[in-house]
Order: sequence, then C-alpha cells, then structure tokens
Amino acid sequence: MHPVGQNDRVPFLLLIEDDDAIRTGLELALTRQGHRVATAASGEDGLRLFKEQRPDLIVLDVMLPGIDGFEVCRRIRRSDQLPIILLTARSDDIDVVVGLESGADDYVVKPVQPRVLDARIRAVLRRGERESSDSSAYGSVVIDRSAMTVTKDGQDLQLTPTELRLLLELSRRPGQALSRQQLLRLVWEHDYLGDSRLVDACVQRLRAKVEDVPSAPTLIRTVRGVGYRLDPPA
Amino acid sequence: MTDHHDGDRPLSTLGRRLLMTTLRLGSLRVRLVAVFAVVALTAAVSASGIAYWLNRDAVLKRAQDSALKDFRVSLSRNVSGLPLGASCPDLTGLANDVASSGLGYTVVVVDEAQPGCTATSDSRFTLTQVPSTLVAAVDRPRPVGEGNPYAYHLYWQRVDLGGAPYLVGGTKVVPTGPTAYMFKSLDNERADLDTLGWSLAVATLLALIAATLLAQAASATVLRPVRQLADAARRLGEGKLDTRLTVSGADELADLARTFNSTAEALAAQVEELSAREAQSRRFVADMSHELRTPLTAMTAVTDILEDEADALDPMIEPAVRLVVSETRRLSDLVENLMEVTRFDAGTAKLVADEVDIADLVMSCIDGRAWYDAVELDAPRGVRAMVDPRRLDVVFANLIGNALKHGGSPVRVQVSQEPAGVEVRVSDSGPGIPPDVLPHVFDRFYKADKGRARSEGSGLGLSIAMANAQIHGGTITAANAPQGGAVFTLWLPLKPPPRPGDDPADAAPNGAGDHG
Repeated sequence: MHPVGQNDRVPFLLLIEDDDAIRTGLELALTRQGHRVATAASGEDGLRLFKEQRPDLIVLDVMLPGIDGFEVCRRIRRSDQLPIILLTARSDDIDVVVGLESGADDYVVKPVQPRVLDARIRAVLRRGERESSDSSAYGSVVIDRSAMTVTKDGQDLQLTPTELRLLLELSRRPGQALSRQQLLRLVWEHDYLGDSRLVDACVQRLRAKVEDVPSAPTLIRTVRGVGYRLDPPA
Repeated sequence: MTDHHDGDRPLSTLGRRLLMTTLRLGSLRVRLVAVFAVVALTAAVSASGIAYWLNRDAVLKRAQDSALKDFRVSLSRNVSGLPLGASCPDLTGLANDVASSGLGYTVVVVDEAQPGCTATSDSRFTLTQVPSTLVAAVDRPRPVGEGNPYAYHLYWQRVDLGGAPYLVGGTKVVPTGPTAYMFKSLDNERADLDTLGWSLAVATLLALIAATLLAQAASATVLRPVRQLADAARRLGEGKLDTRLTVSGADELADLARTFNSTAEALAAQVEELSAREAQSRRFVADMSHELRTPLTAMTAVTDILEDEADALDPMIEPAVRLVVSETRRLSDLVENLMEVTRFDAGTAKLVADEVDIADLVMSCIDGRAWYDAVELDAPRGVRAMVDPRRLDVVFANLIGNALKHGGSPVRVQVSQEPAGVEVRVSDSGPGIPPDVLPHVFDRFYKADKGRARSEGSGLGLSIAMANAQIHGGTITAANAPQGGAVFTLWLPLKPPPRPGDDPADAAPNGAGDHG
C-alpha cells in the first residue's frame, strides 16, 4: 500500500498525455491546485517514470501513441494498486468501460475543468486514509481498518484505495443493500448523480480478489433493482 | 424477417389474414379458377348435351321403328282372318292375336260398326287414352293421288300415360276394316336414357373438378413467382436493398424478375452513394469537432488560472483575459454540443442507465449550476425511473437554463409520477413562445429573434434535450400556458426501450448465479 493522501504532504502526480498543449495546460493547472506534477508524453515514458519516481496517483490519457492508456493501466495494476484517473474523449463510449475494466479508479471527460479534475484527484486520494481502528472478519476475509489491509486466508490482498473504500463502506453496513448512487457518493464522493459503471466495474474487480468464485459471489451480492450488499457468511 | 414477424403475431390474426388472402374476390387465383371452371362447364355441358340428344333420338327412333313395323306386319297378317261384320269378341280376338305376336305392346281395336265395343288386349288401355289428335289423323282419309297411293296411313305419337312414356300408333285397316291402335311402353328406353344422362352429369362434374384442380395448379405456377415478387418488393420497401429474385425461365414473369433486379440494383447503388456522401459529411463534422477539442482541452485547463489572476492584472488587460476565458468556455460548450449531435446523427449515442430518483436528479442539476434561488421545485421524492443520469442532467440543464434565459425567474419545475412514466414540467413566467416559433423550438440553430432575446447558447440545446429524451423512449413538448409563460413538458417511460448496442452491463451487471 502506498502512503498516499497524507494531509501534510503535497500529492505527487504523474500526468501521461501525448498532446503537448494539453500536457502543459494540465500541468500548469494541477501545479497551481497544489500538486507536484511529473509528466510523460507516451505510455513507455510514463511507465519508466512511474517506476523511477513512484507517484501517488496517475492521470492517464487513453489515446496514446505506442502502448495505449489501457495497456499502461493493466501493466501498472500487475504490481501496484495506486489510484489511476483516466482522461477520456467522452463518457458514454467503450473507452470508459475498457478503462474501468483495466483497473482505473475514475475517469474525467475532455475538455476537463481543472477544478473538477482536482476534486476527483483529492477524492480518490482520500480513499486510502485510515479512519478507525477496529477490524472485522467475513469468513476467510479479514478487514483490518487500522492497518488499512485486507487478508484472505491470511494472505494480504492487493486492493486499490477505491476497492478498499468500497469494501469498507459495504462492510460498515453488513446485510444492508446500498444503491449504486449511494456508493458513488460514499466512495467516489460524486456530488451529483454519477456513472453507475464506476461501481459495477469496481465491484467486479473487488469480487475477483475477495470471492472464492468471482462468478458466483457469496460475500458481495447483487440486489436486483437496488445495488449491492455485503453478506456475512452463514 | 417476415417469418419472425408472423411468428410474433397472434394465431387468430394470422389465420384471418390467410383466409382473407385466399378468399379475396377478384384475386388472380379466384379469377383463374372461375375461368377454368366456366370453360370446363361449357365444354362438358355442350358435349354431354349433344351426346344426350343424339343418343336419345337414335334410341327412340330405333325402338319406335321396330315397334311400328312389327305392329303393321302383325296387324295385316291377323286382320285377314277377321270375318266380315265382326262381333266385339272377334275384335278382341284380333287385338289379342296382334298383341301376342308382337314386341310386347298392347293393341286396341275399334270398329265403327261396333260402337261401344272396346276390344283391347289389356284392359288398362282403351281408346280414351289415345290422343284425340292422333285419332283424328288416323280417321281422316287422305286424297289418293300420284304421290299417295293410300287414303289411310299409320300414325304415331309419343305420350305420357300416368307418368310412364308410351308410343301410341294407330291405323285404319283399309278399306272398311277396323281401326287398330297400339301402346308400346318406352320405359326401358327412358331408363337407358336416364342412365346415360346421369353418366354424362357425373362426367361433367368430374370434368369440373379436374378443371378446378388444374386451375389451382396453373395459378400456383403463375402465382408463386408473383408472390415472390411481392415479397421481394416488400423487403425492398423495408430497406433491404440487397433483395434479389432468382430469374428462371424465359417467360414474362422472368422478364419482370429481371426488371425488378436491375431496379433494386440501381436503387441500392443510389442509396449507397447518398449515404456514403452523408456519412462523409457527418464524419467531417465529427472529425472536425474532435480536432477542435484537443486545443480546447489545453485552453480550458488554463482558463481557471487566467480567471483567478484576472483581478491582479492591468485594467487594460483584464477585460481581454475575461473575454478569452468566457469565449473559451462558450466554444467548449459549442464543440461539446456539436459532438453530441454528431453522435445522435450517427446513432452511436449510448444510454448508461441506472435506477435513480428523479427529484434527486433535478435537485443536483439545480444545485450544480447554482440556480437554487431562481427555481421553484415541486418534486416529491420516490419517483424513480431507469435513466442515464448524465443525459437527463443535460435535458434538465437545457430546459431550466432556457426557461431562465428567455422566460426569467421564477421558473417552476414539477415532477409527477404518471401511470406509465415520469413527467417533468418546466414552466417560466416570461412572454411565452410566439406561435410561429413554437413548431421550430427543437430545430437546430433556430434563432427565435423576434420574441426572444439573442440566443446565447449554441442553438443546439433544445434539440439535444429532445434527442436525449428520445433515446430514453420519451419526448418533450413545448406549449404556452393559459396564464402566460412557456411550458416544456418532458415525458419519460419508467424504463428505456431496449436498443441494440446498449451496454448490457447496465441491466444485469453481474451475470448469472447471483440474485442476492
């Protein structure tokens, strides 16, 4: 787990964007919002910088020459769980779905207002912050809120901050169904009604990590017409 | 495709349609069958009729010739044995003799010398049964001349006695002998002729049936290509421009099929050219707006910085900076709307639906744009529907923004649950929409110059709102309220209709085996 979102620390972002003007503009804006920003113009450069400098968060353009944003996202997710926010062309196309499946935590649509991007960045960084100090067990899955870790059969699970926060919010109300919009407010801190695919994609990724059989989940259940529910095992 | 449609239709409707098609008077099949039947009937009836009459004549003539000849011979042989001034029993004897030697006929003999005596070989037959015309003809002497050596002749007539046909013949025995009549039953001949008639009638009937079947077969061979042609024409009309017919044979129908094929080909080529041209221009607009967006993204990224710093700038420069900032945002909106329109035109716009509370959605739209003071909200919570929150937010923002801009506050938003959907009414307190503008409010780039202030939007807002409502299976109507002010009414179904290409993950995000 990355030591992200410490209040006394300036967040360190890696911006991967091939267009010079957009990269410069966003760098200017994000720096002004109080972030430390490193930039890369291609996926390959981005991956190299990521390994060298270990940023807290990555803002990733989807359309990149060479290896594209999805591939960058997948490669990072093989070993690391740091937050990734996608820059996409539009909200309703396949890019969003593929990007979320590749492991992205959130997305923004170009042209993005810097303050919107900043709000998303701060929200995703807050997800990793610890809050209480108890722990709870659901069958073989143990959630340790003080260490912000989740273990399954004693093995540490590698969860992204968003996945972890989703699991925490669900485990706070075991047996109670939460709607996608509720989860968007609680986990993603979306003020307005947001894109339910964020929740669905994150639930899928979380199930892949915590469920014994992800296609037949017993812990995180779908409540048809409502949303999701964490069921303590019988 | 047709099979699929038919399969969906209730059976009764299908049956009725089939019956209608089959029984439709004036249809080619009915006409063909009728013509064949008339031809067959005419031919069979005339052939049978001629055959019957010829046969009847021949049979009767033969029967009656032999009977009359026999009667004449028998009479002349027996009459010689009759004594002069014969008594009644003598005459009866003569009648019996003639009858017994003959071909089964009855003989009645009368003599002027013995009035009141009825000499008959069978008591059922008397002179009264002989037609008076025949009696008159027999009794009337003819002038004897060169062409006529005898005064009296043998006469005959066919009569009906008690329902049975009889041949009655009579002659006077010259010169002063008695008059003899014979009754020959024609029952056998009639029975023969009846049998013949029945046979002919059955043959006619069979010919008629055969003709009908033949007509069916003929109409099938003609009608199958006709039906194929009709089906192909219908498919072509439905837009399946690759529809072609198989040309077989060298008849008129094959010619028609060839013409159909070449017409369809020409049509397909034309449509293809037109749609290619249209797609090209659409792609141009889409590419163009896409290209415009990249610099706009960079510019938008720094507008916040410029805006924040504007106050600290030289008063000469500050308005210029503010202009750049505001126009960058406007351009950005315009390009975004343009791209949205091209997506709707290309049919690539997708719905990302979730079940949400409409009141929440309206509230967040108003909240997000800081319109709270200018809008009166009458939205009970609990009105839920499957909608795309982002698209509905665009609809509300356009309708409320439009009302605020043109009508002025207070703008009233009412959300109500309808039986089959949700209704959202946005009414303003402005001057309303002029009647000549009303039909065009949803048109693209339609500027209502006369009644309304300069359109500050892209001119696409309401048309995008409409397209967004329609992609949900809903609609928006514009009207003027009786008490003044414009009213836009959005109607949405509780669930959008299924569309090909929608993200199936929205409906069932987790697949099988997980029903909570």
